[in-house]
Amino acid sequence: MRQGDKIALISLVAGFTVWSVGFVALYGLQALGCAYGWPTHRAVLILAYGILVAVLAVPAFWPLRSDGEASATLSVAALWANRAALGAGVLVFLPVTFTSTCV
Amino acid sequence: MLAGAAVLTALVLALLTMAYLRPHRLAGVTAGQWIVGGGLILPIPILMLLTGTALVLGEQLLPRGEVAYRAEARAEQWAWRFSYPDVPGLPVSETLHIPAGEPVDIAVTSADVIHAFWVPRLGGKIDAIPGHRNVIRLQADEPGIYRGICAEFCGPGHETMQFRVEAHDLETFKSMMAGAAP
Amino acid sequence: MTEPAVVSPVRLHKELDAIWRTPPGWGRLSSVNHTVLGKRFMVLALTFFAIGGLLSMLIRAQLATPESGFLEPALYNQIFTMHGVVMMFLFAIPMFEGFAIYMLPKMLGARDMAFPRLTAYGFWCYLFGGMILIAALLFGAAPNGGWFMYTPLSSRPYSPGINADVWLLGITFVEISAVTAAIEILVSILKLRAPGMSLTRMPIIAWYMLVTSGMMVLGFPPLILGSILLELERAFNLPFFDPTRGGDPLLWQHLFWLFGHPEVYIIFLPAAGALSTIIPVFAQRPILGYRAIIAAIVALGFLSFGLWVHHMFMVGIPHMALAFFSAASALVAIPTAVQIFAWIGTLASGRPRWDIPMLYVIGFFVVFVIGGMTGVMLAMVPFNTQAHDSYFVVAHLHYVLVGGFVFPMLAALYHWLPHITGRQSVYRLSVPAFWLIFIGFNMTFFLMHLTGLMGMPRRISSYPSNWGWDWLNLLSSVGGFVLTIGFAMVLADILMQLRFGERFGRDPWKAQTLEWATATPPPSYAFASIPHIESRADQIDPAALGSRLAGGEGYLGFARANRQETLAVDMVTGAVEHVVVLPRRTLLPLWTALATGAFFLCLLFRLYALAPLALLGTLGLFLLWPGSLGETADQGPLPIGRGQSAPLDAEASNNVTVLASRTALVTNATLYSSLLFGGLFLLVVAPNWSSAPETAVSWAMLLAGVGAAAVGGVAALVGDRNNSGGRAPGPALWMTVAAQIAAMVLLGATAFLLADPTQHARIAIVFAVLAYCALHAGIGAVLSGATLFRLARGHVSQNRGTAPRIVALWNGFAAATAVAGAALIAVLDTAGAVA
Repeated sequence: MRQGDKIALISLVAGFTVWSVGFVALYGLQALGCAYGWPTHRAVLILAYGILVAVLAVPAFWPLRSDGEASATLSVAALWANRAALGAGVLVFLPVTFTSTCV
Repeated sequence: MLAGAAVLTALVLALLTMAYLRPHRLAGVTAGQWIVGGGLILPIPILMLLTGTALVLGEQLLPRGEVAYRAEARAEQWAWRFSYPDVPGLPVSETLHIPAGEPVDIAVTSADVIHAFWVPRLGGKIDAIPGHRNVIRLQADEPGIYRGICAEFCGPGHETMQFRVEAHDLETFKSMMAGAAP
Repeated sequence: MTEPAVVSPVRLHKELDAIWRTPPGWGRLSSVNHTVLGKRFMVLALTFFAIGGLLSMLIRAQLATPESGFLEPALYNQIFTMHGVVMMFLFAIPMFEGFAIYMLPKMLGARDMAFPRLTAYGFWCYLFGGMILIAALLFGAAPNGGWFMYTPLSSRPYSPGINADVWLLGITFVEISAVTAAIEILVSILKLRAPGMSLTRMPIIAWYMLVTSGMMVLGFPPLILGSILLELERAFNLPFFDPTRGGDPLLWQHLFWLFGHPEVYIIFLPAAGALSTIIPVFAQRPILGYRAIIAAIVALGFLSFGLWVHHMFMVGIPHMALAFFSAASALVAIPTAVQIFAWIGTLASGRPRWDIPMLYVIGFFVVFVIGGMTGVMLAMVPFNTQAHDSYFVVAHLHYVLVGGFVFPMLAALYHWLPHITGRQSVYRLSVPAFWLIFIGFNMTFFLMHLTGLMGMPRRISSYPSNWGWDWLNLLSSVGGFVLTIGFAMVLADILMQLRFGERFGRDPWKAQTLEWATATPPPSYAFASIPHIESRADQIDPAALGSRLAGGEGYLGFARANRQETLAVDMVTGAVEHVVVLPRRTLLPLWTALATGAFFLCLLFRLYALAPLALLGTLGLFLLWPGSLGETADQGPLPIGRGQSAPLDAEASNNVTVLASRTALVTNATLYSSLLFGGLFLLVVAPNWSSAPETAVSWAMLLAGVGAAAVGGVAALVGDRNNSGGRAPGPALWMTVAAQIAAMVLLGATAFLLADPTQHARIAIVFAVLAYCALHAGIGAVLSGATLFRLARGHVSQNRGTAPRIVALWNGFAAATAVAGAALIAVLDTAGAVA
């Protein structure tokens, strides 16, 4: 498999893989903060949220240059998937800013 | 929510019918318009509004801070036992007494398997899980008798695991609790 | 080797069929053919559908009237549990597997799936596992704790009988077929396509199946791990879920729903793929928004893993965590909406025509959209607190599953049955059958929304008559029987078609996908020659292409060396890579599945002394599998027709075996991660950790074991590198064997020298992690030994390096698990209990 094709295939799932990792991280931080009573719990969560959104923005706004028919089509689908992942990241984790952390 | 769902369902089905019966009216709609319009622009604002409202509402329902009245509900196969931490002398009973018009925190626990505490007319439910203690805040607006059931399958006596909630006006409730106290 | 001569189509058929066909009589048991096995999977799944339907009729008969004495509560519990178990595990998933196994190679232009014997093994596991469950039902010992098997109700103190073990062992046995099928489908889609069919020229259904199989690879391991842990708790008293000894019932719920929610989309996506194939045929235009749909199903695949806690909104999880899952549950509606509008748009911009499949497609739209709406409602936490575990949820899940799977599958049945039978529909019964199903379904389940909102909880075997639920339940039951009559008519319709349907030439629907280019019913080898694809593969002319392929104009249009050959391509571009030589029919999968079944039966009947024997028998039989494959000398590139040539798979570095091994390790890693997650979860969340006893782990022995495993892993990597570099791999492989045996002994000894693991979950988790690592070290030694054997037999050379590659992958993985396991043990051993 050529390098460009491999990257196109990976970029198709890149955004949502980051989203999944972020999901686990935020859910884990939420649980740990409650278990150990962190005083800066919400600040930590909002910071993690910010980092996650920033990382998700990279593949969403920085499309790959592609060569070849297959990877060109893949790249378009990948761009949309990565933008969907960014949207999902912004919306799903927005509650860290206002919902109650441990009740 | 119900009406909105009905309208959206009707819209989807109307478009589908039109695709068959009046195809020329939809022929001008491009692929991008179908997908962006129907798949993104239509649902996203609705879902954001709905989820946002639900989360704000959910925040208000949380048992945060202290309330004046508390009760304990302990589930076992296949009965509920209610007691009152502020009135330790009261015998454990299978009927829950609460004051009407006041929020009450009910701490729900289980002695064996998982059950769920549910009084349909008073609001939501909460699971009774061995090893965990979950609190639900309920309020009966009117005095009366409310029926409660176990909502989580808990074995062959599941459907028999019902209980009564009696909501009294505040004065009666206070005197009941006081009369029972040692 | 020169290219075999071109022969007449009839002679080509005879030569190929002699190689590929399944013999009649007892020889049928040896079949490994995807057409045969796909049909067997589907027929068996439909049989289980009938059984599950019968159970639902008993449920509706019981609930038709208040205070019903038709069924005892204890029996009713078995029946509703088995209804769910049969429909989810024995009907929906295997039906998809059968459909994919039958259809995928034909849609992608391959002659079979990548691992025909694994298909057969999966089928036998499915059959035997299903038989265990049904036999238990007949003997009155079926699972009775709900299909979700919540602990502690399913733990030994509250379910002392065999019932829960039947669930845990029977389902795990059946899940073997789900995991093997998932790996096989994934690898087959990525590698076994017609040359020229790049990923983005695949028919869209292949994308659906690709995402589905990826989800299965990641979604099933948590369930399998949960089942193993619960069976360990029931059998050996290891308290993973017991809250009095540091376990937590919520761990089971997390593991179960981490599987259980993606499961719903695993069921829906293939059906949506069928819709995306059928709708364009009847709209008479290609599907709208091919790339948008790819993005949508990728999004759906991932998002569906972020919803599982919405089954647990009532267990007392903080509101912020609920908010994540609530928002994700709402958001998952968007990629679904993208597909719905792509389908409507396809119809609107095409020239839609009517036929029976479209009736069911319209039925799907109505039912599924309503199910989606109630799904969004249930995603809202305040509404969920009211509707959770009520009949509203029963209504919702049937709208989603029947709407999202059964209606599309009925459309698919009417669409593709002519392909299987070679005959067209008779039509007389089809239309009334549809209306009975549609009306019966809505009558049964729409009313349940109301029953639920009126406060009727799920899973009760009787209810008093003064609560106002009587007439709704009665009408639901009447609807249920109407629905059943509809299904009976579909069955009659199928039999009519088999008997009286008219035969036809190629492609009766004027579809434009490749499966219609085979003869119908399809021959054993599917394609006499393999096409070259030059456009998107949902826009071809199968009738014209089919006769050219039958004449041998494509690739591999000849029978060579009595071998079953097909082509493998580059994953993305579809350029020819190598010739895959598929194993021929054999009884080995049946024997292996019987040995596996013996193992599960030993566990079920608590014959723990015999279980290791059965396990060794299974392992020994698996070691026989590679025997008939491979070459003892390098062949070089072989002619493949159309003036081209390609090497054999044994001489290709990234062949299907290596890709499948990587995928299997991903599955395995998911299972192991779930175990590590379980340990951390209990540490943070479970009650009774403040008084947790010491683990008494011997760190010297543990670290020596991890060191040995690391040496074994590195040696295996060196062996692989040496082999591909032209140096002898033997010494490094011997080193791997020795190091991994040492690792197995050291890690196993560490496990047995722990404090009593039945005392507390802290010790039980450490024990489980050590046992896992020791097992993986042991298997690493066996694989390395087997490769030394193949090396001695001349099956391994510099070019034929598959075996050392797999040894390197496995042992590298085993070393990594040992390191990660030691890290988790360190955390559990040192971190104090949470205040």
